[in-house]
Amino acid sequence: MADNPKDIQLTSADFAPLDKQAGPDNERIAAPSLTFGQDVWRRLKSNKTAFTSFIILVLMFLIAFGGQAIYHHDPNAQEPKYANLPPKIPGVNIHGLNGHLTQSGQDVDAYKQAGAGSNVHYILGTDYLGRDLLARIMYGTRISLEIALIATLIDLTIGVGFGIISGWKGGRVDLFMQRVIEVLSSIPQLVVMVLMATAFTKTGMASIIAAIAITGWTTMARLTRAQTLQLKNQDFILAARTLGESAPKIAWKHLLPNLSSVIIIQTMFTIPSAIFFEAFLSYIGIGISSPQASLGTLISDGQKNFQFLPYQMWYPAIVLIILMLAFNLLGDGMRDAFDPKSKR
Amino acid sequence: MRKYLLKRIFYLFLTLFIVATATFFLMKLMPGTPLQNEAKLTPSEKAAILAQYGLDKPVWLQYFIYIGGIFKGSLGLSFQFSDQAVSYLIGSRMGPSMQLGGQALVVGIIFGIILGAIGAIRKDTWADRLATILSILGIAVPSFVLAILLQYYLGLKTGWFPVAGWSGFAYTLLPTLALAASPLAETARFIRTDMVDVLSSDYIELAKAKGLSKFGIVYHHALRNSLIPMVTLIGPLAAALMTGSMVVENIFSVPGIGEQFVKSILVNDYPTIMGVTIFYSALLCLLLLLTDIVYGIIDPRIRLSGNGD
Amino acid sequence: MNLKTAAKVTAVAGASLLFLAACGSKNSSSSSSKATANMTMSAELPTMDLSKSTDVVSSDMLNNTNEGLYRIGKNGSITPGIAKATKISNGGKTYTFTLRKNAKWSNGDKVTAKDFVYGWQRTVNPKTASQYAYLYSGIKNADQIVNGKKPVSSLGIKADGDYKLVVTLDKPIAYFKKLMGFVNFYPQNESVAKKYGSKYGTTSTAMVYNGPYKMTGWTGTNLSWTLKKNNDYWDKKAVKMDSIKYQVVKDQSTGLNLFNSNKADDTTLSSQQVKNYKTNKNYLVRKTASTFYVELNRKDSDSTIAKAFKNKKIRQALSYAINRNEYVKNTLGDGSTVAKGYVSQDLAKNPKTGKDFTDDAYVASGVTYNQAKAKQLWKEGMKEIGETKLNIKLLSDDTDGAKKSTEYIQGAWEKLPGLTVTNQNVPFKTRLQRSQNGNFDTVISAWNADFTDPISFLSLFTSDNSYNNGRYNSAEYDSLIKKAEGTDANNASARWTDMVNAEKQLMNDQGVIPIYQKAEAHLTRTNLKGIIWNTAGTNYNLKYMSVK
Repeated sequence: MADNPKDIQLTSADFAPLDKQAGPDNERIAAPSLTFGQDVWRRLKSNKTAFTSFIILVLMFLIAFGGQAIYHHDPNAQEPKYANLPPKIPGVNIHGLNGHLTQSGQDVDAYKQAGAGSNVHYILGTDYLGRDLLARIMYGTRISLEIALIATLIDLTIGVGFGIISGWKGGRVDLFMQRVIEVLSSIPQLVVMVLMATAFTKTGMASIIAAIAITGWTTMARLTRAQTLQLKNQDFILAARTLGESAPKIAWKHLLPNLSSVIIIQTMFTIPSAIFFEAFLSYIGIGISSPQASLGTLISDGQKNFQFLPYQMWYPAIVLIILMLAFNLLGDGMRDAFDPKSKR
Repeated sequence: MRKYLLKRIFYLFLTLFIVATATFFLMKLMPGTPLQNEAKLTPSEKAAILAQYGLDKPVWLQYFIYIGGIFKGSLGLSFQFSDQAVSYLIGSRMGPSMQLGGQALVVGIIFGIILGAIGAIRKDTWADRLATILSILGIAVPSFVLAILLQYYLGLKTGWFPVAGWSGFAYTLLPTLALAASPLAETARFIRTDMVDVLSSDYIELAKAKGLSKFGIVYHHALRNSLIPMVTLIGPLAAALMTGSMVVENIFSVPGIGEQFVKSILVNDYPTIMGVTIFYSALLCLLLLLTDIVYGIIDPRIRLSGNGD
Repeated sequence: MNLKTAAKVTAVAGASLLFLAACGSKNSSSSSSKATANMTMSAELPTMDLSKSTDVVSSDMLNNTNEGLYRIGKNGSITPGIAKATKISNGGKTYTFTLRKNAKWSNGDKVTAKDFVYGWQRTVNPKTASQYAYLYSGIKNADQIVNGKKPVSSLGIKADGDYKLVVTLDKPIAYFKKLMGFVNFYPQNESVAKKYGSKYGTTSTAMVYNGPYKMTGWTGTNLSWTLKKNNDYWDKKAVKMDSIKYQVVKDQSTGLNLFNSNKADDTTLSSQQVKNYKTNKNYLVRKTASTFYVELNRKDSDSTIAKAFKNKKIRQALSYAINRNEYVKNTLGDGSTVAKGYVSQDLAKNPKTGKDFTDDAYVASGVTYNQAKAKQLWKEGMKEIGETKLNIKLLSDDTDGAKKSTEYIQGAWEKLPGLTVTNQNVPFKTRLQRSQNGNFDTVISAWNADFTDPISFLSLFTSDNSYNNGRYNSAEYDSLIKKAEGTDANNASARWTDMVNAEKQLMNDQGVIPIYQKAEAHLTRTNLKGIIWNTAGTNYNLKYMSVK
């Protein structure tokens, strides 16, 4: 009977609003509403390796930048009479941490040999000038992280800016800018590093930063451009344009948030490569100059004594390896976390 | 295709021209001449020596001579070796570097593929984790640290390999190993990610449904599809090898270009720095071009055309 | 496929191991029948052209593959080379050498007086662009020829027949015979030099040898080569080695690893390596005639600094502040010793008493450490110039050792109140250039004597010398050096007194601040005998080397 429309009886009660709270079940969102950031954070937390890496990095940042507040040792203070002392932690009697050394096949107390009192102990030993290795490693890590931060900054400003402008403007501008990138990225990064290192007569941070500024951002620019090209024809951007929003405002309010996943993932891979390049340049002697230290110079110094005082190379090398590992693993984790395909 | 090739070759020359120009003028800004003990030389001696190196002419003329020389295969005279042309220096040092680079690439890619495939097939098992750890370590441990460790433990302590030097195949093994770590790791990572995707795709499901053996599926379907994009990795891998070779050659006393490059930087041998820079850039450009062409040939989905990206 | 490839690669690796083992055994068995040794070098061989050699590696190789009028023997003594007899006449201004008739080149040609004339003329010829032609200064017309003012043929060297050579000097040169042991004065074979043209001396084949050994296997750019016994050498009976293999090793850890795996018989050690090998039976310290010292720029562009460095008390304070003993022992630790003065130790002996130059000319105040005195002198000096604070820069090389030095001296100096020191570590050539242009406050310089005579050091600090970077200026010093080089040149003991007084003057003025005398720590296998280590000029003479 109800099949016949004529039989439908409508009463005013039928037009009363439904109870909003008791809406149809199938339209309810079961999961709590999450912002983009919250979602990423949640998924990052569920990825144990990435999360551990994240914690380790936070710790390393804290120690590198704030460690000196607790561990009061000047990384540049020399005590030549205590040169090349092995690690000694008071109360620990494990070979390698008790201040003993194997010299010409014999076990000797290096601290006693150097005439150091019982109150002298260096947790990670000293280098060839009697400088505290732990303090120097902390300092070196800070330099490495600073380089990483600067590389990130360059990636974010030049790389992202270049990519967005190129993608947004399109046409001839895009064509020209793409050629610039093409040329820049077919120059080996190493060569640019070397040229900059020679160009700046005083080697150090400046040359490394200059090199990163010249070539380090091309991948980022390429990725943001591709993404921008995709986004710019989407409805919400069209809408914003129709409403007369200015280009910079669109870029800032609409493009950037949508680009953020690409940007963050790429940053996670820029950082370790910047750290690696700094270490590499310092290792071959055209990076950070003395008395400044970086993980690269520490490894290079330590290598010379590797046969007798392996700790001088192992410790900075381990810190560098952990740093590289953590950034890489975090990068992998981030990529998974941002990848909609892997959404669970 | 032809139009595309011409265009790419044009860009190759443009890049090299820019690199050559930039290096030339950067080097002109630097202090340092071929003069060994300047204080003892009289002005006329200095003039004679500078003339031998063509440094007596105005800079702009030197520039044109230099650029013109490149086309003739001349890169000037080295400052550190007397009467030795940079082109000869590069030519005679190229062999060992190429051999090491080639071996490292082959070893790295083969083992990388194996490692990556194991990781993808045995996803989320201990084998996968082990493969992942190995490949991440390959990226995280700098080649110079690895080279030192290899030389000390495998060269000196066990005596299995020659410690350093360059006289025979045995001498190439440790440096190859030190260099191979990074391409191995990159390849393994790439293959694993790619194969995980491929293995969960519909046609693999179909192949499984058809009852193909696991090996057959991996070999015939998954691996082949993952190998094609692998080709694009070769350019960046080769660039990374150039970097690695600088220290690895130094540590193992290999008479290669990388080792010479470091020395030239440290002693301000500008003609050699310029020459090697141009050589490295040309090599990378050529590799990038070659991989693109190979990619276009083996992957029918990519059409090399002159327009668009 | 994966498994198959893996198996293949393993097979290759395994095969290569076998190959290696075969290699190793071959080496050890062959060494019993033939005398061979493996040496290491820390840098490439840049040239084998006798006119163009400026560095240690090439002069070492040339000295052992070629021979001049004399050969420098034990303790810098002069031993016979191509010259059989020498006659000095005309007040020390004419040398007549009689050459031996049995000397031959490795291509069979005879070594004649014409080869000397050709070699010398080639070196001073401005067209050759030799960088060591200045050593010829003092030989008649050499300076004018080098400057292109006189023809090459006017050089004071004449061949009188095939076996008589006459050399004319502008003024007597006390150390002339020693100079003749320097590779830039060796004879050159004209036909070979002309045959190879600009390729002459750029590979081991584009060269001819008249010394104890001849070189093989050097392509001009590679890192290994071999010295083989030269059967055309006139004194080949004295040569015991069949071959000496060379390998360039730039990394000292690699060098040590090679030594420990018996693939090298000689390697240099870094300071930490020294610490652990001091008691090793193969350990050997080689003193060199090389002093490291600090120069203070009296013509500094910053007038305050220039004023400070003209003050003797401040100069002395800076010297007293450096604990050389501690530095040499703990920081350097490579066998180097505290400088006893500016001229190096064991370089020359008093012709009468046999006492070392550094003992005769010792001025304690110039090289001692005394922090209290340093601080006191510093305060007085600063008061005299009316300053309380001083900011100076310390320039040096960017090598490992140089960095250590700057770091140490920086630390020592900054203990003086009001003094701050900034380190500038730059590449070697940049350092030289900046030193010469006076573009520095303080610089760590090094001088390595060309020959074993104090004048090789002392001539540097005359007021007009181009190596006098700090512009030390003393009329007395100048006149003493002038006397030693001029009026007293033929009077050994008067000349000695002049030089001793000059050194004393320099030290009393604290014209420079000597730090240490460089030594090279080696591991040299004890079965290598008969190597003559030199302190100046070339490193070693391998003519009498043997293995037991």
